[in-house]
Amino acid sequence: MAVLASALVSGTNLPAQETNQPIASRPAGEVEQLKRQLQQMQESFARQQAEQQKQIEALSKQIKALTKAQPAPTTIPSPPPANIAGATNTVTPDQFRWLSDKVDEVVAAQKKTLMSEFNPAIGLVGETIFSQQSKGSAQNGTGYAGGFDAYQRSVELNATAAVYPFAKGWVVANGSADAATGETSLGIEEAAVQTTSLPWNLTLTAGQFFGEFGRLSYIHDHELPFVNRPMVLDQYVGGESKTAGAQASLLLPIEHYVNLTAGLGTQLGDDPDAIGTYRSFGAVNYFGRLSTYFDLSDNWNVECGLSGLFNPDSGNVNGVLQPDGLTSLTATKRQVVDADFKLSYVPLRDNQFNSLTWGNEFLYSDNQYLATPTAGGSAYADTVGAWGMYSYLAYKWSRSWRAGFLFEYLQNDQDGAARTYGYSPYLTWAISHWNQLRLQYTHTQPNVASGIQPNDAVYLQWSWIIGSHSHGWTQR
Amino acid sequence: MKLKLSFVALLAAVLGTAPVNAAKIRVVTTLTDLADFARNVGGDQVEVRSLATGIEDTHGVPMKPSFVPLLNRADLVVLAGFDCEHAFLPALLDASRNPRIQLGQPGYVDCSKGIDPVEAPTSTDHSEGDVHPYGNPHYMLDPVMAKTAVSNICDAFVTAAPQYAADFKKNRDAYLAKLAAKIMEWKAEMAPYKGAKFVSYHEHWPYFAARFGLDYVGTIELKPGIDPTPRHIEELIGEMKAQHVPIVVREPQFPEKVPALIAKQTGATLIKLPIMPGGVPDTDTYIKEMDYIVNTMANALKK
Ligand SMILES: [Zn+2]
Repeated sequence: MAVLASALVSGTNLPAQETNQPIASRPAGEVEQLKRQLQQMQESFARQQAEQQKQIEALSKQIKALTKAQPAPTTIPSPPPANIAGATNTVTPDQFRWLSDKVDEVVAAQKKTLMSEFNPAIGLVGETIFSQQSKGSAQNGTGYAGGFDAYQRSVELNATAAVYPFAKGWVVANGSADAATGETSLGIEEAAVQTTSLPWNLTLTAGQFFGEFGRLSYIHDHELPFVNRPMVLDQYVGGESKTAGAQASLLLPIEHYVNLTAGLGTQLGDDPDAIGTYRSFGAVNYFGRLSTYFDLSDNWNVECGLSGLFNPDSGNVNGVLQPDGLTSLTATKRQVVDADFKLSYVPLRDNQFNSLTWGNEFLYSDNQYLATPTAGGSAYADTVGAWGMYSYLAYKWSRSWRAGFLFEYLQNDQDGAARTYGYSPYLTWAISHWNQLRLQYTHTQPNVASGIQPNDAVYLQWSWIIGSHSHGWTQR
Repeated sequence: MKLKLSFVALLAAVLGTAPVNAAKIRVVTTLTDLADFARNVGGDQVEVRSLATGIEDTHGVPMKPSFVPLLNRADLVVLAGFDCEHAFLPALLDASRNPRIQLGQPGYVDCSKGIDPVEAPTSTDHSEGDVHPYGNPHYMLDPVMAKTAVSNICDAFVTAAPQYAADFKKNRDAYLAKLAAKIMEWKAEMAPYKGAKFVSYHEHWPYFAARFGLDYVGTIELKPGIDPTPRHIEELIGEMKAQHVPIVVREPQFPEKVPALIAKQTGATLIKLPIMPGGVPDTDTYIKEMDYIVNTMANALKK
């Protein structure tokens, strides 16, 4: 009993480990076993007492830190174990348990503070891209400055926390430089609230966020598997699928993974549509994605999705191209469909050292424009059908090294005859989770109609994270 | 109307609300040792699935979307804690749309409750490496500490289904007694090798070493989750030679090349040890896994 009592005092959690077997309820056949247990308990007690003493010391330090308003005593404030053991005769197990629970609470509170549970989890991403382009910024079509450039693409600050028990909020602010002018501006990429406890496996997101469309559109720059967002996403979607609006996502309540997302927003991509005019619901972007997943075997799997984007009356003045015989081309209706497909080899045993990914996305744009002929006469509606795609293969052969090859093709969504293809071998060195270097060569070969020159570029990208980070669902 | 009824029936079938399983507590564990404990404690009242099959690294279970429906329907998720599952579990929980098993809810069963971790980092940035931010999470390789996990699982089951509390406690006590007997065996088997030195690939073994009185000299990894540099390997070899370290442990999810090279250069024996049940063949329960670990270690030290 003395042993048991001392154990209760010295080990806050000891009862669960070694001493919580109700002896009275045991069948007689187990007496031998219990004797062995007792012997073993005694044997390990001394060592555990030492372990627990360490814990007491650590706790005392924590308590001291908590109550640092008071002058710190020169000795450790907890009584030495001998004193505790001496006191055991007058203290009941219930009191010990109460004490033990209190200490656990203090420890838990300490851990919570350490994990910043009451503050947003904050992370900072930095990303620098050194590049050398063979053509000037007006001709290379990449958005990068011509010749040599050092470009701080991301200084991304993200914060996330629960808003209340049933919703979380997050903000992603990014200070990024304009690639051509070098002018830096701080912008809010995302600021949104999302429900976490709605029935029917439903999640609602509202605010400004990256809408779920396609596969790589709603991923931040630094999380892309290569240096630059594929051209087809830049052109058809407008870079990241940034939207201001709302999105509902439904996980189908079946044994197979199927997710359905639908949303609406005043924009999807770079620029808000119909700003400064009266915006009817017909001028809003509607988007959605249906995605699923199949385990082909333990190590091979497929993920695929089908997405759509529709804006019945976009009113977007984005006529960059002026195809022959036209002075302007004003988008009036935006329609894009997207099919994505990813085949992965992720060996269960050593996936940290070995994996293969084949990712693909195919987009078809069927936008309608108002075309104004150069020769005069009234403007007429013109529908331009264009398609584009990217496909990449990435192979990982060690914890740190991956190599990949990206192929891209697209027809200009304002002029199906203006075509571009490009290819990019790349090499990624993930020094750690938080620190990554990537070297990429990209050749882009537009045809004459695009007005853009063939370009060769070399990129060296260095990205790093400090503070909080998560292995997010979307970047898997 | 008839169509409507059959639609409801179909929906019910699809939703998996078949009455056979209705009463069982649906438990999803991250790792196979936890699944074994949950089955032992829960008996017939629980239906247990593990995300890991046993051959994975505990920090590297692939984040498969097929886990999402499993977690969506789970009453409890059981994890090792100390951020051991950081690379896959938070995102999966996020995607699961299951409020019952989120952090802070009774369905979120962190088995590290009551464990005092070793090697808790002194800095709050990542200068100490990638994967042990709250101290070493591999306490399950100490069978005495594993008892705490068993008890935590039992407590969670009692909270989830108080009507079976007596069953769960009986099962827990029976399993803990079985484990206690095995611990005596394992200690007896390891007793002749007190102070024996070894190194391993990843920092899996501090709790194991402390329990069995071994001297854990170092790891091949530079820091948990960070590959060794050539200089680190050189230093480790020097250290092993100086200290006459006889054992190199390779966990099977790590490549063999470097451990084999180190073993060859130092004359140490290279052994392969699982880190959870199923890591090597015929170790499908925790007790079999620990049997395998202790036997393999003792046999290698015998030489
Ligand atoms: Zn680890």
